[in-house]
Amino acid sequence: MKRFSILMAVLGFLLPAMAMAHGPTRQKVTLTTEVAAEPAEVWAAIGNFQDMSWHPAVAATNGEGGNELDATRVLSLGAADGPTIAEVLYKFSDEKMSYSYRITDVAVEVLPVTNYSSHLTVKPRDGGGSIVEWRGAFYRGYPNNDPPPELSDEAAINAVTGVYQQGLDALVEKFGAPNS
Amino acid sequence: MHWSRSSVPRTPKALCLILSLAALPAAGDIAFVTNQNGEELSVLDLSAGTEINRIPLPGQPAGIAVHGTHIFTVSPEAKTVRRFDRATMTEQARVTLDGGPTGIAYDPTRDRLFISDWFNTRLWALDGATLTVQAELATGVSPSGIAVSDDGRWIASADRDSDQVSIFDAETLDLHKVVPVGVRPYGLRFDDQHRLFVGNVGTNDVSVIIPDTGEIIATVPVGDRPYGVAFAKGRAFVTNQYENTITVIDLTTLEPIKTIEGGEYPEGIDATEDETTIVVANWFENTVTLIDAETLEITGDIETGDGPRAFGVFILGED
Repeated sequence: MKRFSILMAVLGFLLPAMAMAHGPTRQKVTLTTEVAAEPAEVWAAIGNFQDMSWHPAVAATNGEGGNELDATRVLSLGAADGPTIAEVLYKFSDEKMSYSYRITDVAVEVLPVTNYSSHLTVKPRDGGGSIVEWRGAFYRGYPNNDPPPELSDEAAINAVTGVYQQGLDALVEKFGAPNS
Repeated sequence: MHWSRSSVPRTPKALCLILSLAALPAAGDIAFVTNQNGEELSVLDLSAGTEINRIPLPGQPAGIAVHGTHIFTVSPEAKTVRRFDRATMTEQARVTLDGGPTGIAYDPTRDRLFISDWFNTRLWALDGATLTVQAELATGVSPSGIAVSDDGRWIASADRDSDQVSIFDAETLDLHKVVPVGVRPYGLRFDDQHRLFVGNVGTNDVSVIIPDTGEIIATVPVGDRPYGVAFAKGRAFVTNQYENTITVIDLTTLEPIKTIEGGEYPEGIDATEDETTIVVANWFENTVTLIDAETLEITGDIETGDGPRAFGVFILGED
């Protein structure tokens, strides 16, 4: 139900008719989860731009530049020779336990989005443990009016939501859910 | 192989704590920020740099207008306009409009509220107290932002898909001028000399108009996709939605003097009553950025709910 409500929340966020009148509008997806481990421990697992191995769909991360601005990485999905997503880091803070990145190259068949930027952060949770928040903003994969279903706003939102959900689920698996 | 989707999604618990601190006295300027994705209204104490209240506001709220004790909001998805009382933050009145309510501005001289109808080439004029419709004003296609001049003479709407601005006499509600501007004007506001500044999202510039004559006295280049404009310390500040920047324009020369790097996807913008601080809502970052209007340096960020837009006048001075 929660996932459904998140989807509904992102589906209609822009002013009415802008999508109809002028092609695609920018979409936004925000997902959060709570885990039992403290923020430092969670950040140690996910706070390296060059290591996306915590996400079940990522088979390999190959990049340059560490966690410096403009560092790059190429994610291989499913298998080391699987389809790829190329990304660049544009914000990084150990202090804030957050980083932001953009996709520089991906086929719409792999992820049906364009002009995608994303932000991942870990925050302390009241009562102990952590909150992990992952949000993204993007356009659908089809730049003009009347997109095919697989390149619609809804398809883009569903795909990004699925990626985030799978990653956050893996963190709950790894660190456990908070007790209270 | 796609990014595979999780077959059994786990329930992520909502992290948004609904703070209930409405009883606290107002200290300094307060910002009222519509969170479109989160469907909430954030109340920010700008002096303390904290969020002091957050109330539910259904229907994908974006437009906002504040004055005195009144907080007016527009929820386009629910086609609903609401008025809240500042002190208690309780809802006082509500109306559902038949169309696409989008932009909003308040005329305190006549206690009238103006709402643009994105679908039907008109503005609604509502009674500020009852929110009943008093009149309809014909505009161009897709009216979006609305502004009222400080001297109470003019109402203006940015008619986005007609590439024009409609200017109305605020007393009689008669159409005064139609002014062709740049491509797809969206946000607009009058400065303290009652000149109208209009952001054109298609041509990435700002048209400056003398409302009396309808003359365009300047077209000022800004950044990519200008969204909103506010004024302080003899300067205009324009949010550039696609560029994550704020263009600063000198109000004497009407030339851009600086570009400030801001948060991501900057949208709604307003000034504190004393003009010391410019506040910008960052739609992607879920924050507002505070800018010193004198030094043009960023002085801080305050967290909001999800998807802050604050499309309109959203800051009130001390009670």
